[in-house]
Amino acid sequence: MPSSAHSTSGSASQRIGITGIGLVTSVGTGREIAWHRLLDGTSGISPVRSFDTSAYSVNLGGEIHGFDPAPFFEHLEPATVGRASQMAVGAARLALRDAGDLQTAAERCGVVMGTTSGEPREVELYNDEVMGGRLAQLGGGFMRRYPCHAIAGTVAAELGLAGPNSMIPAACAAGNYAIAHAVDQLRAGRADIMLAGGADAFSRITYTGFARLGAIAPERCQPFDRGRKGMVPGEGAAVLVLERLDHAQRRGARVWAEVAGYGLSCDAHHMTAAHPEGDGAARAMADALVDAGLSADDVDYVSAHGTGTPTNDRLESRAMARVFGNRTCFVPTSSVKSMLGHTMGAASAIEGAVCALAVAEDRVPPTIHFESADPECALDCVPNVGRDMAVRVAMSNAYAFGGNNASVIFRKVA
Amino acid sequence: MYDRDVVISGTGVVSPLGDDPARLMRALAMGSRAFAPVDGFDFEAAGLDGRDAAAIRDFQPQTYLGDGNLRPLDRTARLTVSAAALALASSGWDDEGVRSDHELGLVLGTMFGSVHTIAAFDLRAQTAGPKYAKPLDFANSVINAAAGQAAIWHQLRGINSTVAGGPTAGLKAIGTAADTIGRGRAEVVLAGGAEELAFEAWVGFAACGWIAGSGAGSNTGVRSNNGTRDAGDGPQHGAPHPVPFAADRNGFLLGEGAALLVLESDETAAARDTMPLGRIRGHGSAFDPSRGHDPEASADALARAIRAALDGAEMNPAAIDLVSSSASGSVAGDRAEAEAIARVLGPEVPVIAIKAALGECLGAGGALQTLAFLAVAADGEAPGIAGLERVAEDIPLTNVSRSRRRLEVRHGLITSLGLDGNAEALVVSGGIS
Repeated sequence: MPSSAHSTSGSASQRIGITGIGLVTSVGTGREIAWHRLLDGTSGISPVRSFDTSAYSVNLGGEIHGFDPAPFFEHLEPATVGRASQMAVGAARLALRDAGDLQTAAERCGVVMGTTSGEPREVELYNDEVMGGRLAQLGGGFMRRYPCHAIAGTVAAELGLAGPNSMIPAACAAGNYAIAHAVDQLRAGRADIMLAGGADAFSRITYTGFARLGAIAPERCQPFDRGRKGMVPGEGAAVLVLERLDHAQRRGARVWAEVAGYGLSCDAHHMTAAHPEGDGAARAMADALVDAGLSADDVDYVSAHGTGTPTNDRLESRAMARVFGNRTCFVPTSSVKSMLGHTMGAASAIEGAVCALAVAEDRVPPTIHFESADPECALDCVPNVGRDMAVRVAMSNAYAFGGNNASVIFRKVA
Repeated sequence: MYDRDVVISGTGVVSPLGDDPARLMRALAMGSRAFAPVDGFDFEAAGLDGRDAAAIRDFQPQTYLGDGNLRPLDRTARLTVSAAALALASSGWDDEGVRSDHELGLVLGTMFGSVHTIAAFDLRAQTAGPKYAKPLDFANSVINAAAGQAAIWHQLRGINSTVAGGPTAGLKAIGTAADTIGRGRAEVVLAGGAEELAFEAWVGFAACGWIAGSGAGSNTGVRSNNGTRDAGDGPQHGAPHPVPFAADRNGFLLGEGAALLVLESDETAAARDTMPLGRIRGHGSAFDPSRGHDPEASADALARAIRAALDGAEMNPAAIDLVSSSASGSVAGDRAEAEAIARVLGPEVPVIAIKAALGECLGAGGALQTLAFLAVAADGEAPGIAGLERVAEDIPLTNVSRSRRRLEVRHGLITSLGLDGNAEALVVSGGIS
């Protein structure tokens, strides 16, 4: 368990605020448009266009159609970087604009990004060369674009950020891992500003994998619904600008929310299936609450992992019950994956932005496509219609292949 | 920097030159090099001439893992889980009774996870049809698969993270784990890195001209698009095997392996009466936004990382007795690393470069470099840089040696300069404190 030594209730130099938000999603690019469409319950899911799905029994995806990276690039050539890196640069550029003048040196600004697959399309291109008998003509672009750390590197290179730079490929919890890593870097004084987020590109590899696991929903993504039939792979990027509250206050920055604490754990149970009793997930939530100096009763809103698979939503509800007890079904708990699909490593970064905005504006997005309650998911999933409500504390939960669990807690800045 | 001391209580290593630190160090001291022709790859299809790499021959994970079901684990995971078994045994954390009160964590550095697993999954789906893609391969296609498999195998239920960053990943992982312990968030964390020798990576590095003998040797390279081979600025024909800092270096050869340190708080180590092998004192991380295109900016980034690590350790540059560098034979990379070391610590500081023997083992490199430093601190004997005939004129270091030598060493600096902008430094003390 975390000790109280690093509890965030301490001085402003240990408290971390979010001062910029950048979103690239299938319901819009930019904080304002994406946030309002999520509040309105807009779906970004559509038939897959980027590759031929005729050999699959499913064809829905959360692709971002017509994403144009050019407006976000001032130094690098967008075509020289992979799609996840393009989306990451878009989100980072928007987040920096949102944050205003950082008033610190480039060497004091770092980047940490999460991802599930990095740039899987580059492996697909590699294989296309293999199948075409053209491997000997492979160019240097594969190795420059493919390694997943190219995402964080591209963001820093494009934006000229020379501080600590890390890539955390912690699969579908990677966004939360990145936020946690950024908090540690700031608290240790290694940087004044950390850009933290996640990015993943839609790919035939990811789609094929989830299709083979039988996990993809045929018609729509219905987290926590009794008739839910699966998840929908998606794509996107989100970047948050994090800094110490005293730094933010000194430069007069708007603070969307405070990152009050986090908890990380591992199921050590199964590569793709969650622990049957939600053990690791419950430990991550409990650790995050201790870290934040809060109790479960203080949590007003939960952004669920909520993929829409029968198993995830059942086990996630069970894990929540272990932490929230009798209060579980009264804590509004929604999943924006009902609208965006599962954006993989970007998911918890996007959901972190959702929590920060919920805390800032006292509004929460719905879980759409909800029709009938599942007794095994006894939650208030904010069905179909977003809600205006007081949100002082929001918890964002993410779970991943490999048994990685991560919870981050966001709090209104007093 | 840390609120409490972070000690190293054990190590585990699986490398081309041995699977225990003592054997590995003997091989390094003897001047052995692990490079040899590799079988089983379709070099012809890739148009590759050079076939040498530092592979682990006859790797038998059963030796370390017994009769358990290895089928779900790819090579990167097998290397990781094996090194973890050795690290747990070496530190005493394999004892069920000792472990009962603690959730152990893992922070693993890797460049690719397994690019081979990912490529094989996709290739099968494309050639046989998506219905024939293997779900098990998909589970392992995530880059954190090895860390997840190690957690399952060894029941590591604490913090579990994977950090990428090319060859700097291992030091990033150790630094991250040390922060976690030093700031009171965890008690015991395995930290280090792993990388398998993957053909896909080999082909990709060769296409950039970064592999020794592949026609170039610069990791500054030339910005290129698919379809054109890069022409670097290195000599076209250099030494048959890469030699860090050498005048005729022209790129690196790939290696593979896994190395993990067991890190824990000094309280936890003292409570179970264990004798630490060393301490993590500080780490620093920086980025070169030119990503190696401006050699001066690369050196600047590493110099900043070194200074940050020394600041964290509250130590002066003069306190550093030995540098365990990541120099690999890369034309631009070795120069920038040497420049940064000389700039902060002075040209006379003794420097070793184990990639002379083990190759560019990417995610495994940083932990292997750290292990090598700990061994020198314990034994007082530093390995030479195998094959080093003449130090290049562009390398501003005066205290590098081809032969092994006696060195009294207490405080060490571990450095790593990535292939595309990442720079990392770690300050480690050998012995009890």
